[in-house]
Amino acid sequence: MSIDNAWEPKILVFACNWCTYAGADLAGLSRLQYPANIRILRVPCSGRVNPQFVVRAFLKGIDGVLVAGCHPGDCHYTTGNYFTRRRFLLMKRLLEYMGLEPERFQTRWISGSEGPKFQQVVTELVQDIKALGPNRKLRDA
Amino acid sequence: MNEISLQMREIARDLLSKNEVNLVLGWEKGSHWYKSAPLFINKVEDVDRLVFDEFCHNNLSKYLVDLAHHEAKVAIFVKGCDSRGINRLIQDNVIKREQVYVIGIPCRGLKDPDDAVGKKCGEPVKDAVKCQECRYPNPVVHDIMVGEQVNATARGQETAALIEKLEKMTQDERYNYWSRQFECCIRCYACRNVCPACSCRECIFDRAVPDWLGKANNLAENQFMHLTRAMHVAGRCIECGECERACPMNLPLMALNKKIIKDIEELFGENDAGIDPEKKPPLGHFELNDPEKFM
Repeated sequence: MSIDNAWEPKILVFACNWCTYAGADLAGLSRLQYPANIRILRVPCSGRVNPQFVVRAFLKGIDGVLVAGCHPGDCHYTTGNYFTRRRFLLMKRLLEYMGLEPERFQTRWISGSEGPKFQQVVTELVQDIKALGPNRKLRDA
Repeated sequence: MNEISLQMREIARDLLSKNEVNLVLGWEKGSHWYKSAPLFINKVEDVDRLVFDEFCHNNLSKYLVDLAHHEAKVAIFVKGCDSRGINRLIQDNVIKREQVYVIGIPCRGLKDPDDAVGKKCGEPVKDAVKCQECRYPNPVVHDIMVGEQVNATARGQETAALIEKLEKMTQDERYNYWSRQFECCIRCYACRNVCPACSCRECIFDRAVPDWLGKANNLAENQFMHLTRAMHVAGRCIECGECERACPMNLPLMALNKKIIKDIEELFGENDAGIDPEKKPPLGHFELNDPEKFM
């Protein structure tokens, strides 16, 4: 088997503690299968995710990043995800302007009751990234 | 000596002798005819060193970050772009309006000192790129004004044309373009040090713990630095173009900042940083009906 066939993407998921993390938990409890390529990093709020977390993830060899939080209006801290929305709308455009493929950085709203949505989002994301292949951009050697 | 310089000296002399301020920030003639350096004056005898000419590039509002706790009032000379920096610092609560005495100078656009190297004084010199797309030649905040108001005139579109060219490229071409640029970065941090939007007490690039930015000078770390910096000043960049002017490697940093400004306008509506001190920065507030194109 060649190295290319053995390659599996590494994907980092920033999951908000109150919605997406619970959604991921529900997906697990419901025995919903999704690819094992994701690493979940729990954050208190999607608004906690700093732009440099994302760039740093790519620098350290991550192939795709997903930032996921509560739906607008559902934030545990009332307004955190509205700031996330503005910040990452802008950041997504900036990363594309720098030459990164748009699929590699995504943002989604997944609530605590949306286990199936979590499964679906992760499956699609992994498919997207597998189609693109390993990330060579913004990467430290 | 030009009229504006003479007026500047009179004002500075007046302010210092009446003890209204104990420090004046202005410019003086540098080591070459095409260089003008920042000047800090605290003695009346020194006011005759003040000048204003077409090479007074430094945005002096940046120095107010260090003078935030200065014991007395500070007088500062500002061009149109610099004055937006003052409003920005007030917005961020770095300084208070009553701490500074702002002397506005309407600016007709500056010349490119790099183009003047080797030329004799008086020979024609190219306009500075950063002044080509100037929309605020008249200071937006001032206590008094020196000279006459001027009209904003676009004299070129170099940065806008570069952004458009980049937008039309494929992703890989764009990546290659930026990689070639950032490979040249020597991480001198001049862009950060001259930037009035970079007003953090401690910059993340200087922190050892956590070490966000490695000390190695390689492409990935340089990209990390420039992307992070672009996001940090997003919505707060006042388009003074000082980063690009100060960059010893001539990186097209304004093509990054102006692209973000363009995107902010498309996504969240018109926003010129540092025009209205009461207005919140675009990433510092939100609307319930913001676009959600990535969903």
